[in-house]
Amino acid sequence: MFNTLKSKIIIIVFSMFITLVCVLTAFTCLYYRDTKYLMLEYVSKNVETQAQNINKELVKIEKNARSLALMGELYYKFDRNKSIAEKTVIQVFDNYPDSLGGGIWFKPYYITPEKEYDCIYVYRNKQGNIVTDYNFESQEYDYPQQSWYKEIMPHITKNHNIEWSSPYLEKIGSNSYMITAGVGIYDNNAKLVGISTVDWEIHAVVNAIQKIKNKLNLSNNCFALFAYPQKDYVIVSTDKFLDNDSIIGKSLKNVPWYNDNLINIIYFDYHGKKYTPYVKNLDNGMVFILCIPMWELFGKIFISTIILSIILLLLSVFLALMLYRVLSNNILKPIGKLIFIANKIGQGDNNIEIKIEKPKEFEKLASTFDKMTKDIKNITKERERIDSELAIAKSIQTSSLPDIFPPFPERKEFDIYASMIAAKEVGGDFYDFYFIDEDNFMFLIADVSGKGIPAALFMMTAKTLISNTSQMTKDPNELIELINQKICSNNKHGLFITMFAAIVNLKTGKMYCMNCGHNPPLIKQNDEEYKYLDIDANCVLGVIEDAQFKIYETQLHEGDIIFTYTDGVTEALNNQEEMYGEDRLLQCMNDCENDEIKEILNNVKDNVHKFTGAIPQSDDLTMLIFKYGSNELENKKAFASFATPINYKKFYTWLHEICNEWDLSEELTTKLDMCAEEIYANVQFYAYGEEKGMIEVSVTRKYGGIDVEFSDSGVKYNPLEKEDPDITLPPEERPVGGLGIFMVKQMADDVKYEYKDGKNILTISLS
Amino acid sequence: MEIDVRRVGLTGLLVKASGRLDLDNAVEYGGKIKETIEDNDDIDELILDFAEISFISSFGLKVILELHKDMALKGSMKLRNVPEAIVKSFKMVGFDKFLVIE
Repeated sequence: MFNTLKSKIIIIVFSMFITLVCVLTAFTCLYYRDTKYLMLEYVSKNVETQAQNINKELVKIEKNARSLALMGELYYKFDRNKSIAEKTVIQVFDNYPDSLGGGIWFKPYYITPEKEYDCIYVYRNKQGNIVTDYNFESQEYDYPQQSWYKEIMPHITKNHNIEWSSPYLEKIGSNSYMITAGVGIYDNNAKLVGISTVDWEIHAVVNAIQKIKNKLNLSNNCFALFAYPQKDYVIVSTDKFLDNDSIIGKSLKNVPWYNDNLINIIYFDYHGKKYTPYVKNLDNGMVFILCIPMWELFGKIFISTIILSIILLLLSVFLALMLYRVLSNNILKPIGKLIFIANKIGQGDNNIEIKIEKPKEFEKLASTFDKMTKDIKNITKERERIDSELAIAKSIQTSSLPDIFPPFPERKEFDIYASMIAAKEVGGDFYDFYFIDEDNFMFLIADVSGKGIPAALFMMTAKTLISNTSQMTKDPNELIELINQKICSNNKHGLFITMFAAIVNLKTGKMYCMNCGHNPPLIKQNDEEYKYLDIDANCVLGVIEDAQFKIYETQLHEGDIIFTYTDGVTEALNNQEEMYGEDRLLQCMNDCENDEIKEILNNVKDNVHKFTGAIPQSDDLTMLIFKYGSNELENKKAFASFATPINYKKFYTWLHEICNEWDLSEELTTKLDMCAEEIYANVQFYAYGEEKGMIEVSVTRKYGGIDVEFSDSGVKYNPLEKEDPDITLPPEERPVGGLGIFMVKQMADDVKYEYKDGKNILTISLS
Repeated sequence: MEIDVRRVGLTGLLVKASGRLDLDNAVEYGGKIKETIEDNDDIDELILDFAEISFISSFGLKVILELHKDMALKGSMKLRNVPEAIVKSFKMVGFDKFLVIE
């Protein structure tokens, strides 16, 4: 099945399709990977930027806190002028615009023993101006009891290290969550006397998260965590699955998804979704984490990749189909059409029109094909015409030969039968027979040299010529010379004729025959076996105008047979390329047990066909058989009855039936009638006296006449001994009787009497 | 055999018959004519019409000769419309020499 052009085209198209799909798949994979990478980079960059912003702020806060601590030390060590200190603090804050507020807090009773609370606190008011708040230096506030103070103070270390508080809600000032950075204030003896603090509103983190969300167009499914892992507390959380306010400042254990290793994790499962964490560690040890659902991050990329893949796949399929269509239309379809047309033409439909316009090569092929079809149509038509004309010619030729047997049913002296089985092509065989006068019968068989139309035409001419010439003379020698001369004068193309012809005198049985270069006929004489009639061969007819011919003469007897044939019989080939030959023919004739000449001839025909088998007949198979005398005649009829007047009627009715059956002439019938009546009457009246007696009559047919035999068992009497009446006497002197036997003698060719075994037997020959 | 015997003219007798003048019929034929002649003395001319006679045998010839002999005494006899075959038979036995055949 892979041998067809169609399957090959399909294989080519399919492989191209597969290749295309592979290339496109690789392309899509690369696209997906790169896009994903770019996306990650982009998100990461944004998160980084925001984290850096926070970090910068925190660093500034810390610097501010340190500056304040230095201020505090100066204040404590030197003048303790509070108003100058306040101004200096405000100046410091001016340099750190991110700081919301802050101050210097001394341990209780450390500045003056009488004063418990001593602090300087400034904050940025709503107008952006930095003002001092004295409300904190009061009993109500009692800053050493505040959470941030208690939290920071114990952990203060030297060298101006920063200590961050956990988030708390500032109720007095901004009423928002904040964290506070603290730095220790030491005296000259390195003793801790107080702390400086700077507050940072953690709302800044929420703003940063919102900025990222806006920038990246993220939904509320994203969440962020800002925490201080070193001290294990949460600063800001936007996780919608958690009560975020309640966990501010609490342990990180309240955040289920958090762990120390997040920075190495690509994604984690949380509430049925996959989240990608972005982790940024800040300089002070705090951490900023943004978690984005993977689907939100890559979903669009994935969907667009899938859509792209589908489009490309459809495009590939379309391209493959187009390619197949183009190949099919340009190659398979024209071929299919040509095959269809060729089949139609093969079935005999010659009127089909062949039209293929594209591609050019097929158009040319189609027009060539079309021309070929038309040529074939014309050739076929021409050949059909020739074939039908040849068939007619053959039919005319065959029908010109006499083929009604017996041809002369009234002539019982001979029997003749002939047959010609024409080969496929018209040929030059023929036979003919006719009476050249009342007694002389001529038959002939001949073969014109060559085959086909020329031979057939020449044969028709020759046949007519021979039969016409045969009426001109009765001398065989003169006849054959005349025939030869006429054929010569009508023969301009050098054809010739072989012929065997015979003229038989049916009365005497004398046969004159001549063989002009023809196959020797077979003859059977005097009940002997068949043999080839070995007579001098003459020259073929139509070659030498003044040729002399030898005539062979023989006497035929009743039952003698002559069998003539053409070379189509002896030269018939079998599948071994062997010829049938004269020996087989002779054998076949002698083996035939049938007496009927038609059966003898058909026996040869069958024998030849059996020999050749399925090999088609190459030459005409022509045969003619002649028999002198005939087996067909029933020659003897008999009658017996009492010789009475009543039976006489039966007797002559019987006689007349014989005459009709044998088709005897009227004259012969009358003669028989008269003779028979005379003898019957004699027997009736005289043979048995007064008694009744039998009369037996038999009639035998001979060539040209009949014999009648009468017999009776009456008185011995020879009617022939009776003297003939004198018919010259005048009537008055003539006896009235005695005429009968005289008339019998007059009419009969011969009359014989014998007395044998007590019977009078009278035989009369009539003709 | 049908035999039609009738008088013609004053003294003539015309005989028309059909069939074979043979052993079977000749005696009947001759007998009927002779009877008529004997019954009628005035008849002196006998005319035999042979138009319907198909065959004549020696018995027929014998009858013809007898009739001829009888009529020779009384007058004359002649034959009319005789077929060729029967003329042949007459010739064979020499009857053509005396029979009057019209």
